[in-house]
Amino acid sequence: MSMLETHITYDEAVSRAKKYQDRYNSFVTIIDDYQNENSGILKGIPYALKDNLSTKGIITTASSNMLKDYIPSFDATVYEKLKASGAMLVGKTVLDELAMGGTGTTGHTGIVKNPWDEKRMIGGSSSGSASAVALGIVPFAIGSDTGDSIRKPASYAGVVGFKPTYGRVSRYGLFAFASSLDHVGCLTRNVLDSAIVIDTIKGHDKHDLTSLLDDDKSYRDLIKNDINGKKGFYLKEIIESIDSDEILDCFNKNLKSLKDLGVDISEVSIDKNLLRAIYPAYITISSAEATSNNSNLTGLLFGPREEQPSFDKIMMHQRTIGFSNLIKRRFVLGSYVLQKENQEKLFLNAQRIRRMVVNKINELFKQYDFYILPATSSIAPLFDDEIDRLSDKYLIAENHLVIGNFGGYPSITIPNGFVNKMPIGINITSRQKEDEVALSIAYHLEQTMNYKDQIAGDERV
Amino acid sequence: MIEVDKLKTYANKLMFDMSNEEYLVLQKEFDTILKHMDIIDNLEGIDFVEPMTFPFDIDIDLIDDDTIESLSVEEAFRNAKSTRNNRLQVPKVVS
Repeated sequence: MSMLETHITYDEAVSRAKKYQDRYNSFVTIIDDYQNENSGILKGIPYALKDNLSTKGIITTASSNMLKDYIPSFDATVYEKLKASGAMLVGKTVLDELAMGGTGTTGHTGIVKNPWDEKRMIGGSSSGSASAVALGIVPFAIGSDTGDSIRKPASYAGVVGFKPTYGRVSRYGLFAFASSLDHVGCLTRNVLDSAIVIDTIKGHDKHDLTSLLDDDKSYRDLIKNDINGKKGFYLKEIIESIDSDEILDCFNKNLKSLKDLGVDISEVSIDKNLLRAIYPAYITISSAEATSNNSNLTGLLFGPREEQPSFDKIMMHQRTIGFSNLIKRRFVLGSYVLQKENQEKLFLNAQRIRRMVVNKINELFKQYDFYILPATSSIAPLFDDEIDRLSDKYLIAENHLVIGNFGGYPSITIPNGFVNKMPIGINITSRQKEDEVALSIAYHLEQTMNYKDQIAGDERV
Repeated sequence: MIEVDKLKTYANKLMFDMSNEEYLVLQKEFDTILKHMDIIDNLEGIDFVEPMTFPFDIDIDLIDDDTIESLSVEEAFRNAKSTRNNRLQVPKVVS
Protein backbone atom coordinates (compact mmCIF):
# COMPACT_ATOMS: atom_id res chain seq x y z
CA MET A 1 0.00 0.00 0.00
CA SER A 2 1.41 3.41 -0.90
CA MET A 3 1.52 6.50 1.29
CA LEU A 4 -1.19 7.98 -0.95
CA GLU A 5 -3.64 5.43 0.43
CA THR A 6 -2.69 5.58 4.09
CA HIS A 7 -0.24 7.70 6.03
CA ILE A 8 0.45 9.20 9.42
CA THR A 9 -1.10 12.66 9.92
CA TYR A 10 1.05 15.77 10.21
CA ASP A 11 0.13 16.23 13.90
CA GLU A 12 0.96 12.61 14.68
CA ALA A 13 4.26 12.96 12.81
CA VAL A 14 5.24 16.07 14.78
CA SER A 15 4.30 14.35 18.01
CA ARG A 16 6.38 11.27 17.12
CA ALA A 17 9.30 13.45 16.02
CA LYS A 18 9.33 15.18 19.41
CA LYS A 19 8.94 11.90 21.27
CA TYR A 20 12.03 10.39 19.62
CA GLN A 21 14.20 13.50 19.33
CA ASP A 22 16.22 13.18 22.54
CA ARG A 23 16.81 9.49 21.95
CA TYR A 24 17.79 9.40 18.26
CA ASN A 25 18.41 13.05 17.23
CA SER A 26 16.84 12.87 13.75
CA PHE A 27 16.14 16.59 13.47
CA VAL A 28 17.98 19.89 13.62
CA THR A 29 14.62 21.68 13.54
CA ILE A 30 11.12 20.32 14.16
CA ILE A 31 8.36 22.48 12.69
CA ASP A 32 5.09 22.15 14.61
CA ASP A 33 3.12 24.96 12.98
CA TYR A 34 3.71 24.32 9.27
CA GLN A 35 1.00 25.60 6.92
CA ASN A 36 0.44 24.41 3.35
CA GLU A 37 -2.91 24.96 1.67
CA ASN A 38 -1.81 23.61 -1.74
CA SER A 39 -3.77 20.68 -3.13
CA GLY A 40 -1.40 18.36 -4.96
CA ILE A 41 -0.71 14.65 -5.07
CA LEU A 42 1.03 14.66 -1.67
CA LYS A 43 -1.56 16.85 0.10
CA GLY A 44 -1.33 16.44 3.85
CA ILE A 45 1.51 13.89 3.75
CA PRO A 46 4.21 14.68 6.32
CA TYR A 47 7.85 14.54 5.28
CA ALA A 48 11.34 15.58 6.35
CA LEU A 49 14.01 17.49 4.45
CA LYS A 50 17.75 17.14 4.88
CA ASP A 51 19.13 20.32 6.41
CA ASN A 52 21.38 21.08 3.45
CA LEU A 53 18.41 22.07 1.29
CA SER A 54 17.50 25.72 1.29
CA THR A 55 14.13 26.67 2.85
CA LYS A 56 13.16 30.34 2.76
CA GLY A 57 12.57 31.64 6.26
CA ILE A 58 13.44 28.32 7.90
CA ILE A 59 16.84 27.93 9.49
CA THR A 60 19.12 25.73 7.33
CA THR A 61 22.39 24.74 8.94
CA ALA A 62 23.94 21.86 6.95
CA SER A 63 24.62 20.63 10.50
CA SER A 64 27.55 23.03 10.71
CA ASN A 65 28.39 25.62 13.32
CA MET A 66 29.40 27.84 10.41
CA LEU A 67 25.73 28.06 9.41
CA LYS A 68 24.02 27.51 12.74
CA ASP A 69 21.93 30.69 12.46
CA TYR A 70 21.56 30.88 8.68
CA ILE A 71 18.07 31.61 7.38
CA PRO A 72 17.93 31.33 3.56
CA SER A 73 16.22 33.93 1.39
CA PHE A 74 15.11 31.41 -1.25
CA ASP A 75 13.70 27.89 -1.60
CA ALA A 76 15.46 24.89 -3.12
CA THR A 77 13.57 23.69 -6.19
CA VAL A 78 12.88 20.33 -4.56
CA TYR A 79 11.26 22.11 -1.61
CA GLU A 80 9.22 24.35 -3.92
CA LYS A 81 7.90 21.27 -5.73
CA LEU A 82 7.01 19.55 -2.47
CA LYS A 83 5.21 22.68 -1.29
CA ALA A 84 3.25 22.74 -4.55
CA SER A 85 2.33 19.07 -4.05
CA GLY A 86 0.67 19.86 -0.71
CA ALA A 87 3.18 17.92 1.40
CA MET A 88 3.70 18.98 5.02
CA LEU A 89 7.23 19.66 6.29
CA VAL A 90 7.77 18.14 9.74
CA GLY A 91 11.40 19.17 10.05
CA LYS A 92 14.92 19.58 8.78
CA THR A 93 17.08 16.52 9.40
CA VAL A 94 20.56 16.12 10.83
CA LEU A 95 23.43 15.27 8.47
CA ASP A 96 27.14 14.77 8.74
CA GLU A 97 28.52 18.30 8.69
CA LEU A 98 28.18 19.79 5.18
CA ALA A 99 27.22 16.26 3.99
CA MET A 100 30.85 15.19 4.23
CA GLY A 101 30.99 11.90 6.11
CA GLY A 102 29.20 8.62 6.45
CA THR A 103 28.72 8.09 10.14
CA GLY A 104 26.03 10.47 11.38
CA THR A 105 28.40 11.57 14.14
CA THR A 106 29.67 14.98 12.98
CA GLY A 107 26.56 17.18 12.93
CA HIS A 108 26.75 20.27 15.14
CA THR A 109 23.70 19.16 17.17
CA GLY A 110 25.07 15.72 18.05
CA ILE A 111 25.14 12.15 16.78
CA VAL A 112 22.23 10.29 15.16
CA LYS A 113 21.61 6.83 16.60
CA ASN A 114 20.35 3.80 14.73
CA PRO A 115 16.70 3.08 15.64
CA TRP A 116 17.33 -0.69 15.44
CA ASP A 117 20.16 -0.51 18.01
CA GLU A 118 21.16 2.72 19.72
CA LYS A 119 24.74 1.49 20.15
CA ARG A 120 25.18 1.53 16.39
CA MET A 121 25.54 4.32 13.87
CA ILE A 122 22.96 4.85 11.14
CA GLY A 123 25.51 5.97 8.55
CA GLY A 124 25.37 9.17 6.62
CA SER A 125 25.35 11.72 5.50
CA SER A 126 21.53 11.59 5.22
CA SER A 127 21.45 10.27 8.77
CA GLY A 128 18.41 12.07 10.19
CA SER A 129 16.40 11.46 7.01
CA ALA A 130 17.03 7.71 7.27
CA SER A 131 16.27 7.71 10.96
CA ALA A 132 13.01 9.71 10.59
CA VAL A 133 11.73 7.25 7.97
CA ALA A 134 12.88 4.15 9.87
CA LEU A 135 11.14 5.37 13.04
CA GLY A 136 7.88 5.86 11.16
CA ILE A 137 7.88 9.60 11.87
CA VAL A 138 7.40 10.34 8.18
CA PRO A 139 6.66 8.11 5.17
CA PHE A 140 9.36 9.86 3.16
CA ALA A 141 12.36 12.11 3.58
CA ILE A 142 14.59 13.92 1.12
CA GLY A 143 18.32 13.30 1.19
CA SER A 144 21.40 13.99 -0.89
CA ASP A 145 23.94 11.45 -2.13
CA THR A 146 27.51 12.29 -3.20
CA GLY A 147 29.17 8.90 -2.56
CA ASP A 148 26.47 6.72 -0.97
CA SER A 149 24.82 9.17 1.45
CA ILE A 150 21.26 8.01 0.78
CA ARG A 151 21.84 4.37 -0.13
CA LYS A 152 24.15 3.29 2.69
CA PRO A 153 22.11 4.76 5.57
CA ALA A 154 19.04 3.20 3.93
CA SER A 155 20.75 -0.19 4.23
CA TYR A 156 21.70 0.38 7.88
CA ALA A 157 18.19 1.64 8.71
CA GLY A 158 16.14 -1.01 6.90
CA VAL A 159 14.47 1.45 4.53
CA VAL A 160 14.49 2.21 0.80
CA GLY A 161 16.99 4.80 -0.48
CA PHE A 162 16.85 5.98 -4.09
CA LYS A 163 19.29 8.23 -5.92
CA PRO A 164 17.93 8.97 -9.42
CA THR A 165 20.07 9.74 -12.46
CA TYR A 166 22.37 12.75 -12.04
CA GLY A 167 20.34 15.84 -12.89
CA ARG A 168 16.95 14.10 -12.76
CA VAL A 169 16.20 16.18 -9.66
CA SER A 170 17.38 19.79 -9.57
CA ARG A 171 20.28 20.63 -7.27
CA TYR A 172 19.24 24.28 -7.03
CA GLY A 173 19.24 25.17 -3.36
CA LEU A 174 21.28 22.13 -2.32
CA PHE A 175 24.42 23.19 -0.46
CA ALA A 176 27.07 21.85 -2.81
CA PHE A 177 29.54 19.28 -1.47
CA ALA A 178 31.09 17.94 -4.72
CA SER A 179 29.03 19.31 -7.59
CA SER A 180 30.00 16.69 -10.18
CA LEU A 181 28.88 13.90 -7.83
CA ASP A 182 25.97 15.47 -5.87
CA HIS A 183 22.47 14.02 -6.32
CA VAL A 184 19.14 14.73 -4.62
CA GLY A 185 16.99 11.68 -3.84
CA CYS A 186 14.66 10.17 -1.27
CA LEU A 187 14.25 7.66 1.54
CA THR A 188 10.95 5.78 1.95
CA ARG A 189 9.65 2.51 3.39
CA ASN A 190 8.69 0.94 0.07
CA VAL A 191 9.72 1.27 -3.58
CA LEU A 192 6.36 2.56 -4.81
CA ASP A 193 6.62 5.54 -2.45
CA SER A 194 10.10 6.31 -3.83
CA ALA A 195 8.64 6.35 -7.35
CA ILE A 196 5.86 8.69 -6.20
CA VAL A 197 8.31 11.08 -4.51
CA ILE A 198 10.66 11.24 -7.51
CA ASP A 199 7.71 11.71 -9.89
CA THR A 200 6.85 14.76 -7.77
CA ILE A 201 10.30 16.37 -7.51
CA LYS A 202 11.97 15.52 -10.85
CA GLY A 203 12.13 17.72 -13.90
CA HIS A 204 14.19 20.32 -15.69
CA ASP A 205 14.94 23.46 -13.76
CA LYS A 206 16.14 26.67 -15.35
CA HIS A 207 18.02 27.40 -12.13
CA ASP A 208 20.15 24.26 -12.54
CA LEU A 209 21.71 24.02 -15.98
CA THR A 210 22.84 20.46 -15.27
CA SER A 211 19.28 19.29 -14.63
CA LEU A 212 17.96 16.89 -17.25
CA LEU A 213 15.16 17.65 -19.64
CA ASP A 214 11.80 16.27 -18.48
CA ASP A 215 11.43 12.58 -19.34
CA ASP A 216 7.61 12.73 -19.14
CA LYS A 217 7.49 9.31 -17.51
CA SER A 218 5.41 8.18 -14.55
CA TYR A 219 7.75 5.95 -12.54
CA ARG A 220 4.78 5.09 -10.33
CA ASP A 221 3.15 3.38 -13.32
CA LEU A 222 6.30 2.03 -14.98
CA ILE A 223 7.69 0.17 -11.96
CA LYS A 224 4.95 -2.45 -12.25
CA ASN A 225 6.01 -3.42 -15.79
CA ASP A 226 6.98 -7.06 -16.26
CA ILE A 227 10.71 -7.64 -15.71
CA ASN A 228 10.76 -11.04 -17.40
CA GLY A 229 13.67 -11.09 -19.87
CA LYS A 230 15.69 -8.33 -18.21
CA LYS A 231 19.42 -8.99 -17.91
CA GLY A 232 21.51 -8.18 -14.87
CA PHE A 233 25.02 -8.81 -13.58
CA TYR A 234 27.01 -8.72 -10.38
CA LEU A 235 30.73 -8.12 -9.95
CA LYS A 236 32.59 -11.23 -8.80
CA GLU A 237 35.42 -9.31 -7.11
CA ILE A 238 33.01 -7.32 -4.93
CA ILE A 239 31.17 -10.44 -3.82
CA GLU A 240 34.52 -12.13 -3.03
CA SER A 241 35.48 -9.18 -0.81
CA ILE A 242 32.47 -9.67 1.46
CA ASP A 243 33.19 -11.94 4.41
CA SER A 244 29.70 -12.19 5.90
CA ASP A 245 28.00 -15.48 5.07
CA GLU A 246 24.63 -14.10 6.16
CA ILE A 247 24.88 -11.13 3.78
CA LEU A 248 25.92 -13.43 0.96
CA ASP A 249 23.03 -15.82 1.76
CA CYS A 250 20.50 -12.98 1.47
CA PHE A 251 22.15 -11.86 -1.78
CA ASN A 252 21.95 -15.35 -3.26
CA LYS A 253 18.28 -15.64 -2.25
CA ASN A 254 17.63 -12.37 -4.14
CA LEU A 255 19.38 -13.74 -7.23
CA LYS A 256 17.21 -16.85 -7.11
CA SER A 257 14.03 -14.76 -6.72
CA LEU A 258 14.96 -12.66 -9.73
CA LYS A 259 15.72 -15.77 -11.79
CA ASP A 260 12.27 -17.10 -10.79
CA LEU A 261 10.83 -13.86 -12.19
CA GLY A 262 12.51 -14.52 -15.53
CA VAL A 263 15.51 -12.23 -15.01
CA ASP A 264 18.84 -13.45 -16.33
CA ILE A 265 21.74 -12.80 -13.92
CA SER A 266 25.41 -13.24 -14.85
CA GLU A 267 28.65 -13.09 -12.89
CA VAL A 268 31.05 -10.55 -14.39
CA SER A 269 34.72 -10.05 -13.54
CA ILE A 270 36.64 -6.76 -13.76
CA ASP A 271 40.13 -5.63 -12.80
CA LYS A 272 40.45 -5.75 -9.01
CA ASN A 273 43.01 -2.95 -9.04
CA LEU A 274 40.46 -0.69 -10.74
CA LEU A 275 37.93 -1.51 -8.02
CA ARG A 276 40.54 -0.80 -5.34
CA ALA A 277 41.13 2.63 -6.88
CA ILE A 278 37.45 3.72 -6.69
CA TYR A 279 37.45 4.95 -3.10
CA PRO A 280 40.82 6.78 -3.34
CA ALA A 281 39.60 8.47 -6.54
CA TYR A 282 36.33 9.41 -4.85
CA ILE A 283 37.96 10.89 -1.76
CA THR A 284 40.39 12.87 -3.95
CA ILE A 285 37.75 14.32 -6.28
CA SER A 286 35.17 15.02 -3.57
CA SER A 287 37.64 16.64 -1.16
CA ALA A 288 39.00 18.86 -3.92
CA GLU A 289 35.53 19.95 -5.05
CA ALA A 290 34.43 20.47 -1.43
CA THR A 291 37.42 22.68 -0.72
CA SER A 292 36.36 24.95 -3.52
CA ASN A 293 32.58 24.80 -2.90
CA ASN A 294 32.89 25.70 0.76
CA SER A 295 35.28 28.59 0.27
CA ASN A 296 32.23 30.86 0.52
CA LEU A 297 31.95 30.01 4.21
CA THR A 298 34.20 32.85 5.20
CA GLY A 299 32.58 33.90 8.43
CA LEU A 300 31.83 37.23 6.74
CA LEU A 301 28.66 36.54 4.77
CA PHE A 302 27.01 33.77 6.78
CA GLY A 303 26.99 32.55 10.31
CA PRO A 304 28.44 33.93 13.49
CA ARG A 305 31.07 36.66 13.13
CA GLU A 306 33.39 38.00 15.75
CA GLU A 307 35.20 41.29 15.46
CA GLN A 308 38.87 40.96 14.56
CA PRO A 309 41.45 43.51 13.41
CA SER A 310 41.15 42.55 9.71
CA PHE A 311 39.08 40.56 7.21
CA ASP A 312 41.83 37.94 7.02
CA LYS A 313 41.76 37.47 10.75
CA ILE A 314 37.94 37.19 10.80
CA MET A 315 38.10 34.43 8.20
CA MET A 316 40.95 32.58 9.85
CA HIS A 317 39.27 32.75 13.25
CA GLN A 318 35.75 31.80 12.14
CA ARG A 319 36.84 28.94 9.90
CA THR A 320 39.12 27.63 12.65
CA ILE A 321 36.40 27.54 15.31
CA GLY A 322 33.46 26.94 12.94
CA PHE A 323 34.41 23.71 11.15
CA SER A 324 34.70 20.39 12.94
CA ASN A 325 37.99 18.49 12.91
CA LEU A 326 36.82 15.99 10.29
CA ILE A 327 35.83 18.75 7.85
CA LYS A 328 39.13 20.52 8.32
CA ARG A 329 41.04 17.31 7.65
CA ARG A 330 39.06 16.73 4.46
CA PHE A 331 39.75 20.31 3.38
CA VAL A 332 43.47 19.87 3.95
CA LEU A 333 43.35 16.78 1.75
CA GLY A 334 41.51 18.82 -0.90
CA SER A 335 44.13 21.53 -0.63
CA TYR A 336 46.93 18.95 -0.89
CA VAL A 337 45.65 17.30 -4.09
CA LEU A 338 45.05 20.69 -5.70
CA GLN A 339 48.59 21.96 -5.10
CA LYS A 340 50.29 22.64 -8.43
CA GLU A 341 52.87 19.92 -7.84
CA ASN A 342 50.18 17.30 -7.02
CA GLN A 343 47.44 18.10 -9.51
CA GLU A 344 48.61 15.87 -12.34
CA LYS A 345 49.60 12.89 -10.20
CA LEU A 346 46.67 13.00 -7.79
CA PHE A 347 43.68 15.08 -8.83
CA LEU A 348 43.76 14.48 -12.59
CA ASN A 349 44.62 10.81 -12.11
CA ALA A 350 41.60 10.45 -9.82
CA GLN A 351 39.45 11.92 -12.59
CA ARG A 352 41.05 9.43 -15.00
CA ILE A 353 40.11 6.56 -12.67
CA ARG A 354 36.57 7.90 -12.70
CA ARG A 355 36.47 7.66 -16.48
CA MET A 356 37.98 4.16 -16.51
CA VAL A 357 35.33 2.93 -14.07
CA VAL A 358 32.45 4.59 -15.92
CA ASN A 359 33.71 3.36 -19.32
CA LYS A 360 33.83 -0.19 -17.98
CA ILE A 361 30.34 -0.05 -16.48
CA ASN A 362 28.90 1.62 -19.60
CA GLU A 363 30.45 -1.16 -21.69
CA LEU A 364 28.71 -3.74 -19.50
CA PHE A 365 25.46 -1.80 -19.74
CA LYS A 366 25.50 -2.40 -23.51
CA GLN A 367 24.84 -6.03 -22.65
CA TYR A 368 22.96 -5.77 -19.35
CA ASP A 369 20.07 -3.68 -18.02
CA PHE A 370 21.26 -3.40 -14.42
CA TYR A 371 23.68 -4.69 -11.80
CA ILE A 372 22.91 -5.94 -8.32
CA LEU A 373 25.16 -6.09 -5.23
CA PRO A 374 24.88 -6.10 -1.43
CA ALA A 375 24.73 -2.43 -0.44
CA THR A 376 27.22 -2.90 2.38
CA SER A 377 29.58 -5.60 3.57
CA SER A 378 28.34 -5.53 7.16
CA ILE A 379 25.50 -4.40 9.39
CA ALA A 380 25.61 -0.86 10.82
CA PRO A 381 28.90 -0.53 12.74
CA LEU A 382 29.17 0.20 16.45
CA PHE A 383 30.27 3.76 17.14
CA ASP A 384 33.77 2.66 18.08
CA ASP A 385 34.24 0.00 15.37
CA GLU A 386 37.43 0.28 13.32
CA ILE A 387 38.09 -1.07 9.83
CA ASP A 388 41.39 -1.52 7.99
CA ARG A 389 41.19 1.19 5.33
CA LEU A 390 43.65 -0.56 3.09
CA SER A 391 41.75 -3.87 3.05
CA ASP A 392 39.69 -5.11 0.11
CA LYS A 393 36.71 -5.24 2.45
CA TYR A 394 36.95 -1.46 2.86
CA LEU A 395 38.20 -0.43 -0.57
CA ILE A 396 36.04 -2.77 -2.63
CA ALA A 397 33.11 -4.15 -0.62
CA GLU A 398 32.32 -1.08 1.51
CA ASN A 399 32.60 1.66 -1.08
CA HIS A 400 31.35 0.32 -4.42
CA LEU A 401 28.18 2.47 -4.24
CA VAL A 402 30.39 5.38 -5.36
CA ILE A 403 30.22 3.91 -8.88
CA GLY A 404 26.63 5.22 -9.02
CA ASN A 405 27.91 8.77 -8.45
CA PHE A 406 30.86 8.50 -10.83
CA GLY A 407 28.50 7.62 -13.68
CA GLY A 408 25.39 9.42 -12.44
CA TYR A 409 23.48 6.11 -12.61
CA PRO A 410 20.06 5.65 -10.98
CA SER A 411 20.68 3.46 -7.95
CA ILE A 412 18.39 2.12 -5.25
CA THR A 413 18.90 0.24 -1.99
CA ILE A 414 16.07 -1.84 -0.50
CA PRO A 415 15.99 -3.92 2.70
CA ASN A 416 16.73 -7.59 2.05
CA GLY A 417 17.13 -9.22 5.44
CA PHE A 418 18.45 -9.10 8.99
CA VAL A 419 21.77 -10.13 10.44
CA ASN A 420 22.04 -10.20 14.24
CA LYS A 421 18.69 -8.35 14.39
CA MET A 422 20.09 -5.52 12.28
CA PRO A 423 18.73 -4.72 8.80
CA ILE A 424 20.81 -5.09 5.65
CA GLY A 425 20.16 -3.90 2.10
CA ILE A 426 20.57 -4.89 -1.52
CA ASN A 427 21.47 -2.34 -4.19
CA ILE A 428 20.30 -2.19 -7.80
CA THR A 429 21.82 0.19 -10.34
CA SER A 430 20.76 0.73 -13.95
CA ARG A 431 21.76 2.75 -17.01
CA GLN A 432 21.85 6.55 -16.95
CA LYS A 433 18.37 8.04 -17.55
CA GLU A 434 16.65 4.65 -17.16
CA ASP A 435 15.49 5.25 -13.61
CA GLU A 436 12.38 3.13 -14.16
CA VAL A 437 14.54 0.02 -14.71
CA ALA A 438 16.27 0.19 -11.30
CA LEU A 439 12.91 1.01 -9.70
CA SER A 440 11.03 -1.84 -11.41
CA ILE A 441 13.65 -4.48 -10.55
CA ALA A 442 13.60 -3.23 -6.95
CA TYR A 443 9.79 -3.15 -6.87
CA HIS A 444 9.41 -6.76 -8.04
CA LEU A 445 12.22 -7.99 -5.81
CA GLU A 446 10.61 -6.25 -2.84
CA GLN A 447 7.42 -8.27 -3.42
CA THR A 448 9.39 -11.51 -2.91
CA MET A 449 10.48 -10.47 0.63
CA ASN A 450 8.86 -9.39 3.89
CA TYR A 451 10.78 -6.19 4.66
CA LYS A 452 8.49 -3.63 3.05
CA ASP A 453 7.04 -0.88 5.28
CA GLN A 454 8.99 -2.01 8.35
CA ILE A 455 9.31 0.41 11.26
CA ALA A 456 11.88 0.47 14.06
CA GLY A 457 11.52 2.00 17.52
CA ASP A 458 8.50 1.70 19.82
CA GLU A 459 6.06 1.28 16.92
CA ARG A 460 8.20 -1.54 15.49
CA VAL A 461 6.42 -3.65 12.86
CA MET B 1 55.58 10.56 6.53
CA ILE B 2 54.28 13.98 5.55
CA GLU B 3 55.58 16.82 7.71
CA VAL B 4 53.21 18.65 10.04
CA ASP B 5 54.54 21.99 8.76
CA LYS B 6 53.36 21.13 5.27
CA LEU B 7 49.90 20.21 6.55
CA LYS B 8 49.78 23.49 8.45
CA THR B 9 50.67 25.36 5.24
CA TYR B 10 47.85 23.65 3.33
CA ALA B 11 45.39 24.43 6.13
CA ASN B 12 46.47 28.06 6.36
CA LYS B 13 46.10 28.50 2.61
CA LEU B 14 42.44 27.62 3.16
CA MET B 15 42.21 30.17 5.96
CA PHE B 16 41.93 27.95 9.03
CA ASP B 17 44.20 26.37 11.58
CA MET B 18 44.10 23.28 13.76
CA SER B 19 45.51 22.28 17.14
CA ASN B 20 48.81 20.39 17.29
CA GLU B 21 46.91 17.24 18.32
CA GLU B 22 44.67 17.55 15.24
CA TYR B 23 47.70 17.92 12.97
CA LEU B 24 49.14 14.73 14.42
CA VAL B 25 45.85 12.88 13.79
CA LEU B 26 45.90 14.20 10.23
CA GLN B 27 49.54 13.24 9.78
CA LYS B 28 48.65 9.66 10.74
CA GLU B 29 45.65 9.69 8.39
CA PHE B 30 47.89 10.90 5.59
CA ASP B 31 49.88 7.70 5.90
CA THR B 32 46.83 5.81 4.67
CA ILE B 33 45.80 8.55 2.25
CA LEU B 34 49.18 8.48 0.52
CA LYS B 35 48.93 4.69 0.17
CA HIS B 36 45.48 5.23 -1.38
CA MET B 37 47.06 7.71 -3.79
CA ASP B 38 49.66 5.10 -4.74
CA ILE B 39 46.84 2.74 -5.76
CA ILE B 40 45.64 5.41 -8.19
CA ASP B 41 49.10 6.21 -9.47
CA ASN B 42 50.06 2.60 -10.12
CA LEU B 43 47.06 1.68 -12.23
CA GLU B 44 48.09 0.40 -15.64
CA GLY B 45 47.14 2.51 -18.64
CA ILE B 46 46.05 5.54 -16.63
CA ASP B 47 48.27 7.95 -18.57
CA PHE B 48 46.25 7.47 -21.74
CA VAL B 49 42.87 8.32 -20.25
CA GLU B 50 41.14 11.70 -20.47
CA PRO B 51 40.16 13.02 -17.00
CA MET B 52 36.41 12.89 -16.37
CA THR B 53 34.75 15.89 -14.76
CA PHE B 54 31.06 15.11 -15.22
CA PRO B 55 28.99 11.88 -15.24
CA PHE B 56 27.92 12.19 -18.88
CA ASP B 57 27.61 14.69 -21.70
CA ILE B 58 24.58 16.93 -21.50
CA ASP B 59 23.17 19.60 -23.75
CA ILE B 60 23.06 22.86 -21.90
CA ASP B 61 20.57 25.44 -23.08
CA LEU B 62 21.69 28.84 -21.95
CA ILE B 63 19.04 30.77 -20.09
CA ASP B 64 17.44 33.62 -21.99
CA ASP B 65 18.38 36.99 -20.61
CA ASP B 66 15.44 38.47 -18.75
CA THR B 67 15.08 42.22 -18.54
CA ILE B 68 14.37 43.20 -14.99
CA GLU B 69 13.76 46.60 -13.52
CA SER B 70 16.47 47.84 -11.24
CA LEU B 71 17.17 51.08 -9.45
CA SER B 72 19.00 53.82 -11.29
CA VAL B 73 22.16 55.10 -9.65
CA GLU B 74 20.38 58.34 -8.77
CA GLU B 75 17.51 56.46 -7.14
CA ALA B 76 19.89 54.18 -5.28
CA PHE B 77 21.75 57.20 -3.95
CA ARG B 78 18.58 59.00 -2.93
CA ASN B 79 18.58 57.44 0.52
CA ALA B 80 22.33 57.17 0.88
CA LYS B 81 23.81 59.19 3.67
CA SER B 82 27.19 59.21 2.02
CA THR B 83 28.61 58.32 -1.41
CA ARG B 84 32.09 58.22 -2.91
CA ASN B 85 33.36 57.38 -6.42
CA ASN B 86 29.87 56.37 -7.58
CA ARG B 87 29.52 53.96 -4.69
CA LEU B 88 27.52 53.87 -1.48
CA GLN B 89 29.68 54.56 1.51
CA VAL B 90 28.87 52.62 4.68
CA PRO B 91 30.26 52.96 8.19
CA LYS B 92 33.42 51.01 8.89
CA VAL B 93 32.34 47.85 10.71
CA VAL B 94 35.73 46.44 11.53
CA SER B 95 38.15 48.42 13.61
